[in-house]
Order: sequence, then C-alpha cells, then structure tokens
Amino acid sequence: MDSVRAQYSQVLVVDAGGFFPEQNDAIYQNPAWFMLQAMKLLGTDASGMSDKELRFGKGFLVANARSSGLQLVCANLWDKQTKKTLVAPSIIKKVGTVKVGIFGLTSDKVDMGPARDSVTVEEPTAAARRTIASLRKQGATVIVLLSQLGKVESEDLVTAVDGIDVVVVGRNVPLLQKGRMIKNTVACYGGEQGQYIGRTIVTLDAARKMATGENDTYILGPEVGEKPEILTLVKSFEDAFNEKLRQEEKKKAAAQSANPEAGEAEASVDHYMGAEVCGRCHQAEMAQYKTTSHARAWETLVEAKKDANPECITCHVVGYKQAGGFKTGDDATRLADVQCENCHGMGTQHEAFPTAARRITEATCVTCHNPSNSPTFSFAVYQPHILHKVPANMPPLPVNPNKKMMGTGGH
Amino acid sequence: MKSLATRVLAVVVMAVVSVLLLMGATAKPGTQEPNKLIILSTTDVKGKTSPCG
Repeated sequence: MDSVRAQYSQVLVVDAGGFFPEQNDAIYQNPAWFMLQAMKLLGTDASGMSDKELRFGKGFLVANARSSGLQLVCANLWDKQTKKTLVAPSIIKKVGTVKVGIFGLTSDKVDMGPARDSVTVEEPTAAARRTIASLRKQGATVIVLLSQLGKVESEDLVTAVDGIDVVVVGRNVPLLQKGRMIKNTVACYGGEQGQYIGRTIVTLDAARKMATGENDTYILGPEVGEKPEILTLVKSFEDAFNEKLRQEEKKKAAAQSANPEAGEAEASVDHYMGAEVCGRCHQAEMAQYKTTSHARAWETLVEAKKDANPECITCHVVGYKQAGGFKTGDDATRLADVQCENCHGMGTQHEAFPTAARRITEATCVTCHNPSNSPTFSFAVYQPHILHKVPANMPPLPVNPNKKMMGTGGH
Repeated sequence: MKSLATRVLAVVVMAVVSVLLLMGATAKPGTQEPNKLIILSTTDVKGKTSPCG
C-alpha cells in the first residue's frame, strides 16, 4: 500500500466484506475485534459487510465497528428497530481531486444468523439504483460497489444497473488475476483470506469521471515488504490469541475427561495409533519419513505460535478430534506431525490395507495442500518428496509464496 | 547581543529546516498521476492474519 501511495497521489483502499472469522465460538470475537482495528490501522477507507460480520450479533458489530473507527457501508441491510440502515448505506470520499461514492450490498438469500430477528435485507437491485442516484446527486464522479453478493449475482447486478464504475466482488468468489469489464463496470475478483490484493487503475477524464479502467490481482508474497508496526501488532495479537485458545482447549479437555464413557466407546472402534507403532515393523520407511517436511509439521506450528489454533492443528497432527487422534497439546509427543496414518489410514485398519489397496492420490494431499494453505502445490512436484524410495537428484520444492497475509508467518 | 556563532548557527538551522521542508513538499503525495485513481481492494479475509506455519 505504501509503495502504491508513493507512486500515485490518488489512492483508495477498500474491502468488500467477509472479514470476520468463520467460527461462531465466542472466543473468535477476539480476531473479529482485531480485524476491525487492523483494517482501520491499514488505512481502509470503507468496507462492505454481510451475514459474516453479524455472526456475533448486531450489537457486537455495531459497537466494535464504532469503537474501531472502521467505516462500514451496506445499502440494503436494515435495522428493524430503527428503520434505518444498520450501517451507513454509502459514503463519499474525496480522494485528491475525485469524489468517489462507495456503497455496499449484501445478499438477500442468506440467513443472517443471530441477527436474523433484528435486521432485514432489501432486494439489492432496488437498493443499488436508489444509492447510485443519491451518490450522483451528491457529486460523486466515480462509484464503487463493495459486493457480498457472490460472483453471479454481482455480475447480474452491474449488468442490470447502470452507473457503477468498479465492483469489488466478494463472497466465495474464485480468484481471477485479471479483472473484466462488464458493460461499463470494472469487476475485480479479489481472492480471499488476506493473501491477495486487487489493484484497479481508473483513468479519469476532464470531468473526473472514469474514462477507462483495468484491474489486476496480486498475491502478497514474500517479496512484499512488511510494515513494522502492523507486523508487531499482528504478532502480539496472534501470540495472545494462541494462549487463549490453549486455555479454552484445556477447559474442554477437563470437561470431557469427567465423562469416561466417551473413551470406552472410542477404544471399541477403528482409531489412530501413532507412527511409533508403524515404525516397529516399517523401519526403512520410518527412517525416510523422518527426513521429510511432514515429520517437522508440528515444529513449524510451535515456532509460529499457532499450536493451539484448531484451524492450523488439523493439518499438522494425526487425526485431529477423531478416534484415537490428537485432541490437545498433551498428545503432541505421540500424535504430532503429519504421520503414516495421515496418508495411509487408521492403524487399526492395517490388515485391510493390501486388499483395500489404499493408494495415495492427489485427493489425499489436497485436503491440506489446498490453494489457501499451499498455493504452489503440484502433486507431480511434491509427491516424489514423500515417496519412501525418493528418486535421485530430487529438485527442491518451490518456495511457498503464502507467507504474508496481514502480518507474518510461512506455510 | 547575540554572538556571531549563535547567528551563524541560527542561519544554518534555518537553511536545514528549509531544505527539509522543501524535501517534504517534494515527496508529499498528491502530485503523481493526477488523472489516475487507484483502488486497492481485498475481500473475504475471514479473520486470517497469517498462515499457520
């Protein structure tokens, strides 16, 4: 952002919404609050919103958005009590010599979760027409829509409604590196989870209206510099949140241990056993496995202080939350790392392996090596590195560009 | 009455401040590509601040 600001004098920073975490547990109010603060600190001029920002209720969002100072916009989300839009429908932002009108829309086809009884969602097209007219009347010469309508509905809307210069398309949208023109609107398909940033260049005419526009989306790879104050803030938050998650997990484990019947039921079904059991017979395979990155998967989480984060743990241990699998950090000595059973299956099913012919295919790997976690993953390139008979002169794996997001890390 | 050294120092300080102000004015945003509006955008960040490890 700083480098773009250094190069161009008229820069607008927006988010299309969907920035709250996906978990509903109350403890995830911590990252929700942090996102509001951090986006404001990053200089976000306006953000759209959706049901995702309402997952902790209307009161939580409104109070925390206000205290953070982050400007939310949504033109078709109405508060039943006040009969006004829940957040500002739109804003006008003066960027240099340009008056930019920014408004948001959310889908009327999704459940609003805990806020469902306190808000209503208006049909987006009507709200768009009304808001665009209002923004033009106020002198906006460029109009930007922050859409949480998804790809198809966003494209249909800008086709049906004139006057939108740029739409940032959000809500489970596939990443497109180049945006596209839909009638007279530049559509930006941003990519999710903070790993990408879209850059739309609007060329202005003498009346400060959009003459032409183009969009590209960039991955925030290691070559993108860190902003030290943001890095420090993110790291201190993440470390503290990891500890909160650890304490929460301990409480849950204590409650479960008070119910011994669950353990008895688990012992009677197929379950994970841990690599130590496999290695008693498969000594050569075990020796090779220990040279792989899989055998250091847990260590990377500990170093990143993500070893209490369930979202991360699941791909760094054996059978997370499954029968006989990893449940808490206390299981780390036996079930940490990506082990034999992650690829081959539960040890108690060992006798069935030859007849079941469990083959390790790309489908086995992509449960964890998905585009978000492992954007450089290619089965053909990665798989030879975990074969128990490693081919000679193996080239190194490509550097994973997924090392930035908002702060630090490295997957 | 101010000494010569004090007056020389004051002139030097004023000169340095002037140069710094001038440099600041040169680097100040608002002068580059006035016919372009750049929109930086993200979406669906989903509470993610960094990768796992």
